[in-house]
Amino acid sequence: MNSFWRIFSLEFTAAVRSRTLLLLLVASLAWMLAAPFVFVGDGTAEGARALVVHYSLGGVAALLAVALLASATGSIASEREARRLQLTLVRPVRYSVVALAKMAALVSLGALVLAVATAIEACRTDLARPCRHVLSPVMPTPREEALAMYDAFMKDPNTPVAAKRAKKSVVLRLLAQRALDRYDTIAGGSVVRWNFKTGGSALPDDGLSVRLRFTNAYDVRQDVRGVLFLRSGDSVWSGSVSNITQAVVEIPLKRERVGAATSELAELTFRNDGNSALMLRPRRDVNMLSPADGFGWNLLRAYVELVAMLSILVSFGVFLGAGLGRPVALFTAIVALIVSEMSPSVIEQYPDELETDKIDSIGLYITRAAAEATHPVSSLVPLEKLSEDACIERREVVRTAVANMVFAPLILALLAALVIPRKVEA
Amino acid sequence: MNEEIVISLKGVKKTFRDFWLRPTVNAVDGLDLTVRRGEVFGLLGPNGSGKSTTIKMILGLLDPTAGEVLMFGKAPRSLAARARLGYLPELSYLHPFLTARETLMYYAGLCGLSRSEGAKRTDELLAMVKLEDVANRAVGGFSKGMARRVALASALVGRPELLVLDEPTSGLDPVSTKEVKMLVKALAANGMTILMTSHLLADAEDVCDRVMILNHGKQVAEGKVAELGESLEDFFLAKVGSADEFVLADFLS
Repeated sequence: MNSFWRIFSLEFTAAVRSRTLLLLLVASLAWMLAAPFVFVGDGTAEGARALVVHYSLGGVAALLAVALLASATGSIASEREARRLQLTLVRPVRYSVVALAKMAALVSLGALVLAVATAIEACRTDLARPCRHVLSPVMPTPREEALAMYDAFMKDPNTPVAAKRAKKSVVLRLLAQRALDRYDTIAGGSVVRWNFKTGGSALPDDGLSVRLRFTNAYDVRQDVRGVLFLRSGDSVWSGSVSNITQAVVEIPLKRERVGAATSELAELTFRNDGNSALMLRPRRDVNMLSPADGFGWNLLRAYVELVAMLSILVSFGVFLGAGLGRPVALFTAIVALIVSEMSPSVIEQYPDELETDKIDSIGLYITRAAAEATHPVSSLVPLEKLSEDACIERREVVRTAVANMVFAPLILALLAALVIPRKVEA
Repeated sequence: MNEEIVISLKGVKKTFRDFWLRPTVNAVDGLDLTVRRGEVFGLLGPNGSGKSTTIKMILGLLDPTAGEVLMFGKAPRSLAARARLGYLPELSYLHPFLTARETLMYYAGLCGLSRSEGAKRTDELLAMVKLEDVANRAVGGFSKGMARRVALASALVGRPELLVLDEPTSGLDPVSTKEVKMLVKALAANGMTILMTSHLLADAEDVCDRVMILNHGKQVAEGKVAELGESLEDFFLAKVGSADEFVLADFLS
């Protein structure tokens, strides 16, 4: 442990004395203070606030991601090139501890700068501002739904020949994508039901609402009228909707009946009282909103998730620097960062592999593999939730923190320990 | 394993390869070497003779292509072996932003010394290398000689049983050179085993009990300095080549 703290302290001291920390602090501070003047929003105070929250902290996180990645790739590589690393390696210290301590120091540096930026955000926002849990209906996963649909789809005479000849994995991926975007049609006068997992805890009397995003075949706004009922145990809430202009409607629910019993699931029913059929994608367009804690706690959770993202970037950078020369490691890291950001969009552009030619298929295969590998970075969207006052759930923060701040650095440090002596030799 | 043998190399070969794994140079070729406890052993040879490669294999920084390298009867990369080792490289390679005191404290920590033990040891070593007055100055601003003394102190910070010195007097003025030689003798007198390389044959002659001369990766001579029967320089030139050839080889390498 002594060795760990000494290397940690050395790396941190280097960042302080080389003025890296100061530069990052000044740049972050300037960005945080300038952001409200840069982003004017959509003309509403709410829109402007959401933009500032999203892009002020997002800008600092992006700055830190690039700066720390550059520092991380150089932390071992530049020491090796300056021949200082050998003086550490001949001491009784495990190579994995060397890598881990360097990772921890750089993550702490990022966490410190991000803490200052977060504190500024906290100072200019009402910390008591309420946030909401955003629940989606309990449904089979798209993959499960695809598996259930597979046999029927293949036997269907309308299924294209190309699909019937395609590999099962390709068809399943296609069906899973369709399941995700599948529309339910709610005919006039009909009723639909969705279940939400409440975890057995009692739902609050006030503050419950439902968010629906309706569409139709031509994406034209239409008259939406209906009644909503939410049942959890013996308790019932209700609400009604009468809206003809907005695609997204948020309907507050009022408690109708108070019951003692609670249930694991809450059932939401919607009766379409309009004349025309309504369409929506249940996996994307239906949410139950319930009161959560304030913006302050949400900001703290977003901070932890951002630090977790920096942690995995830094760990990856240190690992690359252990096995590659600094310029190559930095180039590889930046390419990986760009790929992590771009690959999900690329995949979304080509959902149907059957329509792609051979070359595109190979490209898609590689992109999918890259997206899978870089998922921990690209899937982190705490700022989006923060700016929308959607609660960043505690369990997802814990899961991300454990995966990105404990397991990933440990694994990458062990891998770095394997390549350090190979590279020293080279 | 004989506790008296500190370093043991048996049939050690080291071949460097290019990116395509094609052999490019045989840096060390079938080397057998034994250093016993308390000995001051000199590894001599012209540039490119394989001295540094041999030292790096002993330190665990390089893997031998063939043969066996043991330090205290263990693999050089084992923590137990490294815990008993001190190393002074050919150039000082210090962290320029650390002060002399912080440098020694850093290496003391890596050697497992607690903060208080490290501080005590640091004070002792700073006094030994006569750098107490500049202990709190960043070593990046030190002269080559001062940096060398910090590096020497950091090699000794963990109270090693084996000290590997690569060109220990490189960059030192005559007075400092003499001090280093006296220090090496004093450490050896206290039972420390020392393996050193040097281009300055007079230095090796002054402090080494036994020397080995390498040329083109092969051992060309080994023996006790006292038993050579002639000056080390004459002996060296007789084994490696004439002075003219040596100077030319040195210049071209």
